[in-house]
Amino acid sequence: MLITPAMIGQVVISGLLAGSLYAMVALGLGLIFGVMRVLNVAHGPLLMLGAYTTFGLFHWLGLNPYLSLAASMPLLFVVGAVLQWGLVRRVVDAPELSSLLLTFGLAIGIVNLAQLAFSSDLRSVEYLTGSFVLGPFAFSKSRLIACGFAVVITAGAFLFLKMTRLGKAIRAVSQSREVAQVCGINVQRIHMIAFGFASALAAGGGSLVAVMVAIQPEMGGVYTFKSFLVIVLGGAGNYPGALLGGLLLGLVEQLSSLFLTTQVNEAVAYILLVLVLLVRPTGLLKGRAA
Amino acid sequence: MKRGFPVALAVALGLLSLYPLQATGYGIRVMLQLFMWIALAQSWNLISGLTGYVSFGHVAFFGMGAYTASILIAKAGWAWPLACLAGGVMAMVLALVIGWPCLRLKGPYFAIAMLGLNEVLRVAVSYYEGLTGGGNGLSLPTLDASVRIYYAMGLVAALVTALTYVIITSRFGLRLMTIREDELAAEAMGIDTFRYKLYAFLLSAVGPGIVGGLAARDQGYIEPISVFPLVTTITMIVMALFGGKGTIWGPVLGAVLLFTFQEMVWARFIYLHQLLFGAVIVAVVLLMPRGILGVLQQKYNLPRTI
Repeated sequence: MLITPAMIGQVVISGLLAGSLYAMVALGLGLIFGVMRVLNVAHGPLLMLGAYTTFGLFHWLGLNPYLSLAASMPLLFVVGAVLQWGLVRRVVDAPELSSLLLTFGLAIGIVNLAQLAFSSDLRSVEYLTGSFVLGPFAFSKSRLIACGFAVVITAGAFLFLKMTRLGKAIRAVSQSREVAQVCGINVQRIHMIAFGFASALAAGGGSLVAVMVAIQPEMGGVYTFKSFLVIVLGGAGNYPGALLGGLLLGLVEQLSSLFLTTQVNEAVAYILLVLVLLVRPTGLLKGRAA
Repeated sequence: MKRGFPVALAVALGLLSLYPLQATGYGIRVMLQLFMWIALAQSWNLISGLTGYVSFGHVAFFGMGAYTASILIAKAGWAWPLACLAGGVMAMVLALVIGWPCLRLKGPYFAIAMLGLNEVLRVAVSYYEGLTGGGNGLSLPTLDASVRIYYAMGLVAALVTALTYVIITSRFGLRLMTIREDELAAEAMGIDTFRYKLYAFLLSAVGPGIVGGLAARDQGYIEPISVFPLVTTITMIVMALFGGKGTIWGPVLGAVLLFTFQEMVWARFIYLHQLLFGAVIVAVVLLMPRGILGVLQQKYNLPRTI
């Protein structure tokens, strides 16, 4: 097969489009890990709930799927905060086995509830199909718009973390919980907000992919796995690292589907992960050693 | 207690070895699965219960054994006991290949690397269709061997438990537990932590490998999603945790109790099965993270290694 520069360009563009979405979803997972050292296996299922919110609003009320972001993100913020307050709070200081198992229990519970509520049928939101063509490149409309929203939301999240008092408090807690507490920050409250915020990011990702892929209760698992890859690649607990890791994962996936086949995407990304961990156990940007 | 326990154990083993003489086919299949879970939970306990390194993808070794044995039986015509042993060997090879880089990782990074390994194996197996049948799975020639598989599975469960006993009561086991309590201190005392973690990891892979082969032979058909599910890893972890991780009899106790519970209760709630399992996991993690034996040890001041 001949590989032309145009094909490489196309692959790089598709990779960045997909990667921006991974970065946004993984930023949520990274936030939870950074702030409370919890690996949230239920991140993907929360994304799935976001996708179903969009599907439901589109199907029953005819709401524009992109407008439904304004519903799915606040809704999942509340769900996340409640889950943190009710359950996850209790394993924050436990060894990682406890948080992995607890959130896995949550994950299969959420998936099971979704199966009961929505059945396992494949659903889709048929809203935006087709592509823009620009010179030799084609951009899928839904992916381009999703990328736009992801960039805006991610940028907003970074501004929030950087500029606002609450964002500063979140970063302070993730740097050192004790010192933050001494400075008068209510750590319990920050944990709750961070989990809600992370769930909202997952839900945003869910709403955006709802237009592109089939919606079903088990769709979230693959995003959990990819988000794990992203935060370890970028450096766990390092927020810009999640951005870099997400874009990198998108690129690697697209490149491997150009040179190999789509099916081995995950294997290639995993080998990359193991190599990165061997050379730089803290991730590409310096993350937190465990 | 001290003298009663070996006698009770001998009686139980005797009864179990006589059981197939008058059991129904269904009864044998149920017991065989129980043995499988004991072997799996106990093997997970060897690496994660003793060293504290959470293997979050231990089912990878089960799947590796299942595929190795099935390919050897179906394509190369090997006898099943030999093929299952080969499954155990291949699982150890996989453990060496993956443990060499990944056991240097600390805490959550190791857990993520193991989770990833399992996902990747599932993808790889679906991809190499020529050898593995891909997503269509692999059928084995029919063979009625449940009773023989019952004994083989029971033997593996007993051997893994015996191995755990030998390890926990030896210097090797003490070194592993030192790594769990404080790896830095272990290094400072001159323990080559990486080497001992790797030994423990290899030993913990061989049981699931053999058991995977036996389970594949028993079912006669395997496919990627049936031998690499994350939920199998979780089930063995919860069993070990429920009984008491890091102990000799905890994983056995946990496997017996949870498996019985599963057979009796969950089968009646097919639609709520996962939700109930999720609730059990959450309850075990929140209410008794030390497990039944852990609680008993604390209460009655028993040695940490029963």
